[in-house]
Amino acid sequence: VPRIVREAEIDWEGTTARGSGVVRAASTGSFELSATIASRIEVIEGKTSPEELLAAAHATCFVTSLGSELARLGNPPEHMHVRCTITMDEVEGAGHQIVSSDIAARAVVPGADEATLAAATEAADAGCPFSALIRATATVSVEAVLEGGNS
Amino acid sequence: MADRTAHVTWSGSLMEGSGTITSVESGAFGPLDVTWAARAEDDAAGLTSPEELIAAAHAACFSMALSHGLAQAGTPPDKLDVDATLTFVPGTGITKVALTVHGEVPGLDAAAFVEAAETAKDNCPVSKALAAVPEITVEASLA
Repeated sequence: VPRIVREAEIDWEGTTARGSGVVRAASTGSFELSATIASRIEVIEGKTSPEELLAAAHATCFVTSLGSELARLGNPPEHMHVRCTITMDEVEGAGHQIVSSDIAARAVVPGADEATLAAATEAADAGCPFSALIRATATVSVEAVLEGGNS
Repeated sequence: MADRTAHVTWSGSLMEGSGTITSVESGAFGPLDVTWAARAEDDAAGLTSPEELIAAAHAACFSMALSHGLAQAGTPPDKLDVDATLTFVPGTGITKVALTVHGEVPGLDAAAFVEAAETAKDNCPVSKALAAVPEITVEASLA
């Protein structure tokens, strides 16, 4: 299996409190986004933050795992929607930490019942590399429901 | 406390299907397309992946932590350029994050900058969240 290397870069001007940064997908050029400390901890104002990027990463990681597991169980999905919420909080004695990542999935899966989806969801959580990583230091919750279109 | 939410949709199988990071709470980006091939092969073909997003998150987190640490020590930076390179081995997981930072910091010597960079690497929330990654490194140099 090939090793995969992906690169991102950020230029930050000035201090954390008053400065701002631009984060770029250096591997692909697929995004270039501005970030500030205010967008991270206070009002968002259309700017991204490390936690939002992690939420996007976890949602994307999980959706590919879920699709793979459903296909393995003989029920390839037609469509899946995943929402991921990352929470950073101040932990006494440990400063700011990412304390949880919560995944909510909806899937259109022809022929699948809830038990199949539940089995696939559990396997997808176990198989998604990012779920495994973040579970070492934070709480991960995963829920999935079937939606219209399945028979 | 701060919550941040992202939405992703995927249609079809893993290998032949494709997905979209449809939106994020801030509205700062999206839609961004993703595929398995873009994630797993050397040629990402201009599409992002979870690993690239984690690299971006880590670079952003580290740069904020370092900037904050330098300012608290009385030597705020003029500019920090940070790279994060993440290595993902399918079937194994994320094996390494390599951070590099090039800084313009008036009044600071190279040894103190390296020390500040190590502290930021150890303590930024994304580093702590990625504590299970076997290897996280930082290389720091001044302009």
